[in-house]
Amino acid sequence: MHPQLEKLLEIQDMKSQRADLLEQTDGGNVEVEVFNISADEALEQLDEKIVEMEESLEASVRNRYKRVAGSRGKFIVPVINGTCFGCFVSIPTAVASGPDRNQALQFCDSCGRFLYMVG
Amino acid sequence: MELREFFSEDVVKLELESSGKDDLLKEMIGLLGLDEKSESILYKMLKRRENLGSTGIGKGIAIPHCRSLVVNRLRVAFGRKPGGIDFRAIDEQPVHNVFLIVAPPLEVSNQYLPVLGKIAQFSKEADVPSRLGEISTAKEFMALLEEKGI
Repeated sequence: MHPQLEKLLEIQDMKSQRADLLEQTDGGNVEVEVFNISADEALEQLDEKIVEMEESLEASVRNRYKRVAGSRGKFIVPVINGTCFGCFVSIPTAVASGPDRNQALQFCDSCGRFLYMVG
Repeated sequence: MELREFFSEDVVKLELESSGKDDLLKEMIGLLGLDEKSESILYKMLKRRENLGSTGIGKGIAIPHCRSLVVNRLRVAFGRKPGGIDFRAIDEQPVHNVFLIVAPPLEVSNQYLPVLGKIAQFSKEADVPSRLGEISTAKEFMALLEEKGI
């Protein structure tokens, strides 16, 4: 896997974790109620790590990341069955298939998001 | 939504072999059948979640969980360590039963947090920890979920 792609995946996963810390379900906030997490401390810890990871991205990758994350939220999306799960446009076969599809950093020509090939 | 819909016998391991928390997380991830790189990313995210606070909720049960793009749908697994393991649980007691939950960040049906809540609710039923200790096959685990109607 491309090292920058790996960092982007981690940032996305941490941002999702962050969103879950703020999410309320029917049973309240699961992380707080069930796991006894201090939401404020956890958010602070995650935010610090997210900033650190963002700063470690290569300049060109960071620029695209900021542009896409700023306007669309989700900046990296899965490609499943040849479809970008950000904008649901088909990805060219040459990009979406092959054994080492995540070795290169690729993005969707339609929505501009980074792509992660799943499965 | 029924909890048992997400489990299958191949993601149930009743004799976990690991002797430490980190190895146990890796062993649980191994039940999902992902490629090596995905396993490594998932492990990092589970560790990061554990660093925010242990997912050992007490009564011998832990529910490590995270979201990650390396899975394309919600995945769960159950593992049992009969001798128990130090998981730095809330009650500081060893953990015997581990439920792993992983979901992608983008979920059409938004099942992750409700499933997490359901497993926690199931785990807190008074007889569940001892019942989990008594089962001897994956089929019996599935039957317990069925019996509890969860």
